[in-house]
Amino acid sequence: MLLITCPVCGVEGDETEFHAGGEAHIKRPATTDPENVTDEAQRDYLYMRKNPRGIHFERWMCARGCGKWFHAARDTVTMEFKAFYGAREPAPDLGGTASPKAATPRKTAARRKKAGGA
Amino acid sequence: MADAKLIGALAHRGDVERQPGLSITLKVVTGRGMIDLRGNAADAKFMAAAKSAIGVALPTAPRTSATKGDVTVLWLSIDQWLVTLPREKLTKTFAALRKKTEGMFALATDMSDARTVIRLSGDGAREVLMKGTSVDMLAPDVIQGTVRRMLFAEIAAACHVVGAEPDVLDLYVFRSYADYAWEWLLATARSGARVRLYGPQDIPTT
Repeated sequence: MLLITCPVCGVEGDETEFHAGGEAHIKRPATTDPENVTDEAQRDYLYMRKNPRGIHFERWMCARGCGKWFHAARDTVTMEFKAFYGAREPAPDLGGTASPKAATPRKTAARRKKAGGA
Repeated sequence: MADAKLIGALAHRGDVERQPGLSITLKVVTGRGMIDLRGNAADAKFMAAAKSAIGVALPTAPRTSATKGDVTVLWLSIDQWLVTLPREKLTKTFAALRKKTEGMFALATDMSDARTVIRLSGDGAREVLMKGTSVDMLAPDVIQGTVRRMLFAEIAAACHVVGAEPDVLDLYVFRSYADYAWEWLLATARSGARVRLYGPQDIPTT
């Protein structure tokens, strides 16, 4: 169970009191330049999401509290929240807590082989 | 046509007046008017207008309430409050609130029939509530006047601590969930179903 703190109302609660809203800081291309939106940019905006091993910036809503959206930085390895910040704030620089390097595809393949299966 | 008659969501139940074998007392609070008020708390003009219409300054600290006489304002969000007052005073206060906040970025809605209020009183009321929520009602910051919105028995609810020692808690649930919440409380508040925070639990007897 994740323990979450809402930066808006300051309530501390269980995951069930909140609502997860997926990846944060996704920019809509049509907002800045509606005339020139490429298919690729629109596709990336709609469908492409990060799935990092390490720090992930995501949106959460204080669903059973003040009802406001906010952002959180969560380490997907340890499930630990590194920061909670407002919905209009940019992603914080978490410096020393940078995400560990993701395993290269090659290594992954080797590991699979060793484990003896797909 | 006859005047509209107000019927509470639990009025059809026969077990509202008397519930034997409960460790706490349950009561349906009727005749309470509720106004949902939204506005910008940083706007001094709005806060002043609301205060003059309601008679109570809107609480700005999270999860608190403000009471004056028979009017209580519950903090729901940083820009939302629930004004509770006797039903008889509703029309007048509501009209005043609408008039004073006219032209402002604010919204007042009569929500009296949207919610049902169930009052839990007696020692152990907080423990009964805690069987249905992950919120720690025994935390030291849950004092008289605290308002806490929560996921209670899988439904949205708000709990207002009206009094402490002995505990008096007002549980606000949506009207459509009133029956469910009432039956949940009847089952969970049975004397034999007393909750223990640690160790083996009592086996409820029917």
